[in-house]
Amino acid sequence: MREHLKEIIEALVFISVEPLTPGRIKSVLTDVTEDEVKQAVAALQAEYEGPGHGIRIVATAGGYQLATKPDYDPQVRRLLQIERKSRLSRAALETLSIIAYHQPVTQAEVNALRSVADSSFTLHTLLQRKLIKISGRKKAPGSPLLYKTSEDFLIYFGLNDLSELPSQEEIARILEQENNAET
Amino acid sequence: MDTPELPPPPAPDGPPAAPPDGYQVKLEVFEGPLDLLLFLIRKKKIDIHDIPIAVITREYLDYLNRKDRINLDREAEFLFMAALLIYIKSQFLLPREQPLTEEEDPRKPLVDRLLDFQKIRAASLLLKEKEDEQLQVWKRTALPPLPAPVEEGLDLIEVSLFDLAEAFFAILKKREYDHHRLLKGKDISLEDKMKEIIDILRAKTFIDFLEYLESQESLEEALVSFFCLLELIKSHIVIAVQEQLFHTIKVWLRKDAPRMKTP
Repeated sequence: MREHLKEIIEALVFISVEPLTPGRIKSVLTDVTEDEVKQAVAALQAEYEGPGHGIRIVATAGGYQLATKPDYDPQVRRLLQIERKSRLSRAALETLSIIAYHQPVTQAEVNALRSVADSSFTLHTLLQRKLIKISGRKKAPGSPLLYKTSEDFLIYFGLNDLSELPSQEEIARILEQENNAET
Repeated sequence: MDTPELPPPPAPDGPPAAPPDGYQVKLEVFEGPLDLLLFLIRKKKIDIHDIPIAVITREYLDYLNRKDRINLDREAEFLFMAALLIYIKSQFLLPREQPLTEEEDPRKPLVDRLLDFQKIRAASLLLKEKEDEQLQVWKRTALPPLPAPVEEGLDLIEVSLFDLAEAFFAILKKREYDHHRLLKGKDISLEDKMKEIIDILRAKTFIDFLEYLESQESLEEALVSFFCLLELIKSHIVIAVQEQLFHTIKVWLRKDAPRMKTP
């Protein structure tokens, strides 16, 4: 492996606000393969996970980012003087899960699955927060807009890609728990 | 319409516990009729695959009658479900020559929707857990964003359609007040406007998006200009960028722009 590769990657990730993809790292360095980059990142991650570090390297939206460890959340809040971050409403979360699992979807499809007459307010909010995006129009009467989740969606929920969404098994487990809790 | 922000949403495992003096819920805590149905099914410990329609319909209607506040927009959805329940019930009353097969069960479409909805709700609970986790994690957001790999190395943020539209609607709002007189019909064609924009860009290198739209004589002209800009952005002739978040939006001619067909 190339000398100082770990250090270089650390510097590059440090200076990036957006998730830095292995491809992007590779384009800066001339003579390394993507595999070498990934190996170096894995080694870095292992170091950060150990004691003595308040931050770690997370894989999100297909790239790497530096993030604080959750344990130090209270102190970070105090420093930034932020009481708490805003959460998504229930309507927003439900709409997002529909879009995430059924994408691309139209508003009519979202309405039907949620059994509400009009989701436009929620969709608009999600678009403004850039958690979803318009991916085109459906070839159907009225050519309705199609919605997809965005890269910011992955970042917001700390997912590396859509395959990391809760699986059918996890969903089934939640349902079982709920049913057991009530019977 | 959706309710923008709901009052405290029910705990993940169901709406808040009933007060001892009888059961009270506010309509607003239910996102929709499926939500309410699911809640009633759980409360009555009913098997979702074998719903006693008469019981659930009575519960459902009782609930609708009990709540005092009526939000007409949301009401329609709840009434629609009530109608559907009654319809299903009526199907059972019809005399039939042969007993229904499982596929013909009039409850089936509703049960399928309930099962789908249950899954969505479970998924959204899992997403909520992830959100909670992420809310304790902080990342730096104040550094300059990475320059786009292909763009000419300028430290600019390309703006989205929403930023443009928002800026444009802000102007429309402002103009609402000073334009009450009737406008004389001056026809503005998209093509002329596009040429005008490109000419200005060639002379001045960039246009301040807001200023330019504001300088338009009439609302109609501003509207046409707006569409022209969208069209030019779409055909990669110009690019709309911000130097930083919340700065003014500037429109530049692209260096690699395809030639405009100007006579």
